[in-house]
Amino acid sequence: MLRKISILALGLALAFFSGLSFYRSRHLKEPVVLGPGVTQVKKLSEYFPAIKGSTNDANVYVLEGAKPGGAILILGGSHPEEPAGRLTTWILTENATLEQGRLFVLNSANRSGTTVTRLGGAYPPDYTIRTPWGEQKFRTGDRWSNPLDQWPDPEVYIHYPSRQELAYVDIRNLNRAWPGRPNGTLTEKTGYALTQLIKKEKVDIVIDLHEAELQYPVISTIVAHQRGQDLAAMASMVISAEEFKIDMENSPKALHGLSHREIGDNTDAVSLLFETPEPFLDATRGRTDARLLLEGKDEFVVRAGKHGLLYEKIDEKGWPIDVRVGRHCSTFIQVLDLWSQDHADKAVVMKNVPKYREVIQKGVGAFLHDPAKADPKTVYYE
Amino acid sequence: MSMTASASIILAAMVAVYIIAKIFKVSTELSIFAATLAGALVGGAGIPARHIVEGAFTYLDICLIFITATLFMNFLKESGGVAFVVRRILQRFHRRKFILFVLLTVLLLIPGMLTGAGSVTVLVVGGMVATVLGYMGISKPKTAAIVFIIAGLSAAAPPVSLWAMLTAAGVNMPYVGFFVPLMAPCLLLALMTIFILGWKAKPADLELALKELPEAPAGMNWLKVILPFLIFLILVIAGRIWPFSFPIMGLPLIFCGSAVITLALSPKKIDILEVSRRTVHQLLPLIGTLTCVGVLVQIMTLTGVRGLISVTVVTLPVMVVILTLFITLPVSETVLMWGSAPVLGVPLILLFNHIGLDPVVALAGMSVIWPLGDAIPPTAIIGRLTVETIGMKEPYKNFLKYCIIPAILIIIVGTLMVVFSKKLSFLKVF
Amino acid sequence: MIITILYYLLVAYVVFLMTWNILKSKKWQEEVLYVIVLIPFLLRLLRLK
Repeated sequence: MLRKISILALGLALAFFSGLSFYRSRHLKEPVVLGPGVTQVKKLSEYFPAIKGSTNDANVYVLEGAKPGGAILILGGSHPEEPAGRLTTWILTENATLEQGRLFVLNSANRSGTTVTRLGGAYPPDYTIRTPWGEQKFRTGDRWSNPLDQWPDPEVYIHYPSRQELAYVDIRNLNRAWPGRPNGTLTEKTGYALTQLIKKEKVDIVIDLHEAELQYPVISTIVAHQRGQDLAAMASMVISAEEFKIDMENSPKALHGLSHREIGDNTDAVSLLFETPEPFLDATRGRTDARLLLEGKDEFVVRAGKHGLLYEKIDEKGWPIDVRVGRHCSTFIQVLDLWSQDHADKAVVMKNVPKYREVIQKGVGAFLHDPAKADPKTVYYE
Repeated sequence: MSMTASASIILAAMVAVYIIAKIFKVSTELSIFAATLAGALVGGAGIPARHIVEGAFTYLDICLIFITATLFMNFLKESGGVAFVVRRILQRFHRRKFILFVLLTVLLLIPGMLTGAGSVTVLVVGGMVATVLGYMGISKPKTAAIVFIIAGLSAAAPPVSLWAMLTAAGVNMPYVGFFVPLMAPCLLLALMTIFILGWKAKPADLELALKELPEAPAGMNWLKVILPFLIFLILVIAGRIWPFSFPIMGLPLIFCGSAVITLALSPKKIDILEVSRRTVHQLLPLIGTLTCVGVLVQIMTLTGVRGLISVTVVTLPVMVVILTLFITLPVSETVLMWGSAPVLGVPLILLFNHIGLDPVVALAGMSVIWPLGDAIPPTAIIGRLTVETIGMKEPYKNFLKYCIIPAILIIIVGTLMVVFSKKLSFLKVF
Repeated sequence: MIITILYYLLVAYVVFLMTWNILKSKKWQEEVLYVIVLIPFLLRLLRLK
């Protein structure tokens, strides 16, 4: 009996400490200090009430210029485990100002996915960005929604409306759930709510921020729906000439559920998806921790690169988060500039967002603001 | 210290602890767990409660499938349904070997095809088929080999092939075009297996066999046996035909539904609690291994050991990689089970895609080979399950011996599919 | 929603069966393994993971 009690006690201790860790990271508060450009903070449920009160009823930060113009939606956290996307949206919400047009920003497009880490993936529960005023913690998140918000999975995920069959886990993948389904799963409802936002706000361009493993062919690129082809090609040319190399790819027509395909097909908006390199996601990665997530340095990934197995270069310097966020910022700025040049009446003119070199020079943390010192009315939580 | 050096040391420590644990007669499951703890300690992570438990969660849904599927089967057995089916099949087809073999192969393929798990095939129909084969004069080890090999193929067969699905998900490739590349080799190899191993089978002595078989309880009939399976099929197929109006039930709940129907139709009273308790106990080695393997993969990833293995495999010369698939895939399956798809399958498919092979056909070829690992000791999870389910008393190696010929055929077919994947890409019809 | 609740009930039933088996078990290795297997079911039931 004593033996049984001891074994049970050890098990309960393991369950207690892990449970505490899961609970804490799931409820970790991520502050957003509203920048001068934010004019409204809406809830995603305002566009589709069925998700009201759910984990995915995300904040929608609205930035409006004095002059009317076009509308842009930018999504961070479609795949929360790709931190450059979320951090870029933090820079936008905390710093950007608009002179013309409207900008809609979601820092956590799939908020449920930010509250869980990958089974078997050994992800750190959170990561810390150093800032001039201290440190700010972010949830690492996963590619998929939390099973606590959406359970069970089917045997096969059949995408709506294409009926394309996908791996069962992808039923919790927001970037396989577009254009969404009003009576579907939480992830499908989230896709639907975002599609409603795009339609109701007459969004002209949707940008979905991602990162990819270096072993994946779609990397360091802008993936564009056919209606965004010219814009993406031009942006890639200008950026590659002035700042860093970035490619452009056409969204495959037969691949369904992805933002760059479905938003373009189902709404009037042009859809683009940006990819930066994230060695943390590579299957050959070594020790998995927050350092790898943020510094992107890995001996094994470098070795795979030396054998010609990667689609992007990597050396001992790795792919630091500042470089990745800098790429997203510059690509976004360039796309807006090019769009605005060609569409004067639908222009979106944005200021105070750092470009590639400035992010690398100062670090991402330099653009995050201290919630303790901010007016509490301007502090929101993700 | 370089990452290669540190990961190698951690891996060595894990292997050492595993061996020591085995020497001290610790079970395979707990030896894996002990090796995992050693890896975490040597890797400087201490006892990482979060990572241990997160890893243990990896196969939670699959454990639920096993528990509910086995519960359904055990209820069916208790109700006398199994005895009824075996008696009737024997009465009808005992003279016609060809038809009997084809029917039994189809019967064996269906549960694994639908669930993606060979163990479900073994648990749902393995026992019944084994009884029929037994009365045809096929020895227990041969019968076990037939059931095991076809169960493995049933798991690889479409529509649900977990290795293919998990790998495809890992490389962001849609799970499309796999049906024929998976179905054709699985069906062909399954039929070859039963005909080769069952070549010498004789028509059963019906009277003797029926005398030895347990009597089916009065009141049992075909409808009562078939209805629970029919409900299962209807629920699975309905989810496929009307995915947008039919609720997502998931396999565990569908199996529960079949189990409830079985209980309701049983002519005998069944002690639900006792059968449930026994089912969980019977499955402990299986769900224990799955859980411990989940923890192992998590800690291997945490400490860089998984990366060391992956990078070593993919940086070998391509020809060596392809020609050693018959070792690397089954061995990774032995150690990691479905975890082998994200750990090994993903880098391999990226490598194959990189050198211009067709990733879908190549992955289908690999998926056929993978399940062979389920017979390799020490884990041998499906192998052990098969042997236990059909009640084989002979040494385990007798069973392995009969697996060799079909295994060689599977390896040849699978490897050729990888090598000639480009030429076979016409198979990707839907 | 109803289906999700049924899953939690199923998990609760499994937790109950495993706990019962731990109490009935006479082998320490079996008990340890049961406890390891039990933890994920327990934490899911408590909606912690």
